[in-house]
Amino acid sequence: MLTPMFQKLITTGVACLVLVSLVAGCTSKKKDPPNTVHLSISAKLKGLDPVNADDMYSGIQSSHAYEGLLQYHYLKRPYVLTPNLAESMPEVSADGKTLTIKIKKGVLFQDDPCFKATGGKGREFEASDIVYSWKRLADPKLTSSGWWVFDGKIVGLNEWHDESAKAGTSDYAKPVEGLKILDRYTLQVKLTQRSAQILYALAMPFTFVVPHEGPEMYGQEYINHAVGTGAFKLQEYDPNSKVVWVRNPTYRKELFPSEGEAKDKESGLLEDAGKPLPLTDKLVYQILVESQPAWLSFLAGKLDLSPIPKDNYSQAIGSNKQLNPELAAKGIKFAKEPQLDITHTSFNMTDPLVGKNKLLRQALSIGYDDVQYIETFYNGQALAAQGPIPPGITGYDLAFKNSYRVYDVAKAKDLLAKAGFPEGKGLPPLEYITLADSTSRQSTEYMQKMMSAIGVQLKVSTYSWPEFQASVKNKKGQMWSFAWGADYPDAENFLQLFYGKNGSPGPNDSNYLNPEFDKLYEKALLLQDSPERTAIYQQMVKIVVEDCPWIFGSHRLNMALTYPWLKNFKYHEFDHAKAKYYRVDPLLKK
Amino acid sequence: MSTAIAAKGKSLWSDAWIRLKRDRYAMLSLAIVIFYSILAIATKLEWVASPWDRVVGGAYAPPSFDKIELWGGTDIFGRSVLYKVIQGTRIAMSVGLVSSLISVPIGVTFGAIAGYFGGWVDDVVVWFYTTLSSIPSFMLLIAITYALGKGLTSIYIALSVVAWVGLARVIRGEFIKHKTRDYVVAAESLGASHFSKIFKHIFPNVSHFVIINLSMQFMSAIKAEVILSFLGLGVQGQPSWGVMIDDAKLELARGVWWQLAGATIAMFFVVLAFNILGDALRDALDPKIK
Repeated sequence: MLTPMFQKLITTGVACLVLVSLVAGCTSKKKDPPNTVHLSISAKLKGLDPVNADDMYSGIQSSHAYEGLLQYHYLKRPYVLTPNLAESMPEVSADGKTLTIKIKKGVLFQDDPCFKATGGKGREFEASDIVYSWKRLADPKLTSSGWWVFDGKIVGLNEWHDESAKAGTSDYAKPVEGLKILDRYTLQVKLTQRSAQILYALAMPFTFVVPHEGPEMYGQEYINHAVGTGAFKLQEYDPNSKVVWVRNPTYRKELFPSEGEAKDKESGLLEDAGKPLPLTDKLVYQILVESQPAWLSFLAGKLDLSPIPKDNYSQAIGSNKQLNPELAAKGIKFAKEPQLDITHTSFNMTDPLVGKNKLLRQALSIGYDDVQYIETFYNGQALAAQGPIPPGITGYDLAFKNSYRVYDVAKAKDLLAKAGFPEGKGLPPLEYITLADSTSRQSTEYMQKMMSAIGVQLKVSTYSWPEFQASVKNKKGQMWSFAWGADYPDAENFLQLFYGKNGSPGPNDSNYLNPEFDKLYEKALLLQDSPERTAIYQQMVKIVVEDCPWIFGSHRLNMALTYPWLKNFKYHEFDHAKAKYYRVDPLLKK
Repeated sequence: MSTAIAAKGKSLWSDAWIRLKRDRYAMLSLAIVIFYSILAIATKLEWVASPWDRVVGGAYAPPSFDKIELWGGTDIFGRSVLYKVIQGTRIAMSVGLVSSLISVPIGVTFGAIAGYFGGWVDDVVVWFYTTLSSIPSFMLLIAITYALGKGLTSIYIALSVVAWVGLARVIRGEFIKHKTRDYVVAAESLGASHFSKIFKHIFPNVSHFVIINLSMQFMSAIKAEVILSFLGLGVQGQPSWGVMIDDAKLELARGVWWQLAGATIAMFFVVLAFNILGDALRDALDPKIK
């Protein structure tokens, strides 16, 4: 039993807690300016360091503070690259192997205590910062998941990487031949070979610019800080619940685009043309892993933008595929766009069982019904994938049918027997790793159901998103489900997921290795967009499909609902920093 | 002529049974508990609600009386909710039973030796269980399931580790009381060993506490299983009331209420029954309340 003294202590403690939370609640509410944009993320964050921003969630967050040399035009379609930190588009030499990049002058890093020399004032961004940031990408100690974007592409950078790995420390002062600083504002990049994708790489979060003062001051803690040139400054960061960004007061003069697609004008997307960015003073991201709290927050008007969770589809969209009148009456807008993505279940190709038994993988692939999955989990709003390349990207072949993706239990059992496990006998339960939220559990149950129908049992382990990614990178587990969204509009971005050298911690998460595929991949890298390259892409798809390192899932549709007060929302596949274009009209939000 | 009529002594147990029988709610609760137990065994033997993972209708079909499988409607994959509820009984009861079977011997042994020997033995045991119980039990449960990996076995072990403390406390107190009683002193003077005194002489006199505790333990184990499964830390790939309630979290938005209703009704009756029965057992078995 509690003694009176203890009771008193506890009562006082509780009273204090209540008081503190009340005060905290009041102050945080008071501070929010009326044009604050409220958004949500559906996964816990692993950090803000751009060199490890390989997932959409951390990519979006780090893109608020950091910037790359290039960016995508927000409104124009098809997607086009425009200069960001670069003064103009890089000059490419005639042989395609030298890039000369001029950067904008007078761009300042955000104020941060790490700039000790200036007493916390952010200094000017210069060409040497790019070299530093790209060396970080190659730093073996940082085990960047984005090293693949430069691996083997810049003269001397691989040597720097190998020497650093050998020495155990990375010497950032040591020059790299392919990264030459011509003057304070000019960088020359020498490529090992012509590359069709290198410019896209300059718009990916991995290559965003980090000042050396940041990592030097914060060390391993740097993942919890963000010091860049971006439009927003980190105010509050809790990787499990909330991220708050405020307008960066020293942000350079960057304007809202004044041209776009023909329909953009009538849909009001050009109303803010020419206005300085960002248009909002504050961005608040709630981390809501479960879909229902996010949906309810949206309905309550606490979030300005929301996807449609699977269980709320019929609540939001009527049988005529239009927004339900109840939501339409609130002025909510509905946007539906095909996503350049692919969902898939990876097999661990380094695993002695599933990695070495092609027939087993093919059996599991045939035994998995994706049509029913799309109906149950995407309300029919997705396309069953036949290969890695989604429609909308050159290399996608509408006529191509993957013979291992035609659901057939009898054939699956037959293949399983040929693989050495008739009726699943002798096959130990396969270790399937997945996420811990309710929808993931249901989709895992679906997988278990499919597999047990052909006699295969699964042993399930569940993790949070950062733990899940770490497990995949450490090659734990035998199967897991993932989705890949395009980083740039080139099929190469999907095919590099199978390139041998991109194995863990790179994006080839199944660690698929086929020399024949790699040879074709390397050949295609040298080619510009052409029928010849497309033919090679399609040949590569056939090889992958036959080897079956993945069970190909589906290409999804992005469905977004926005309140009328959120202005300038336009679906963008690649621009992670799009929130800088968002504006909230406080008059409409009452 | 008068004869001495030797009044036939009633044992504690038969006396308690008579008193328990008088309590109608207790008897009803006992019947419910027996019913759940039979259901659990029948499910284990695959006599009823088997196979539960068969597709019996469309996704989210509402309850109907066309077929017995459809009485409780269907879930996301078209499986019978009624069958899942019944299968959930098996999981819940097995968690209660196994965790009790593990925790009772631990609780009795520790409680007995602490109370009986006193001194430093008592200090060590009391320190140990006080430390254990100072950690919020759900934190401990979650930590253990994380360490051991998710699944039914971890739940069994986690619950057992947490649950023995209450029983050990009670048994310790009773042993302290009993060890100086005349019958124990008599046994000692006849040369009884410590072991014999603990288990042959004292334990039978305090064993009714085990029964009372068991009933409470069952109830809290069932609740803990549901909560852990709801949090995604419990059973994997098997029907559990907790998983059904977790499903309901998403489905209620579609107006699908039957998984939630099925799981909560099933859970409500068994938890209530164990609660009433536990109280009634305490009343019936505690000689002081005569």
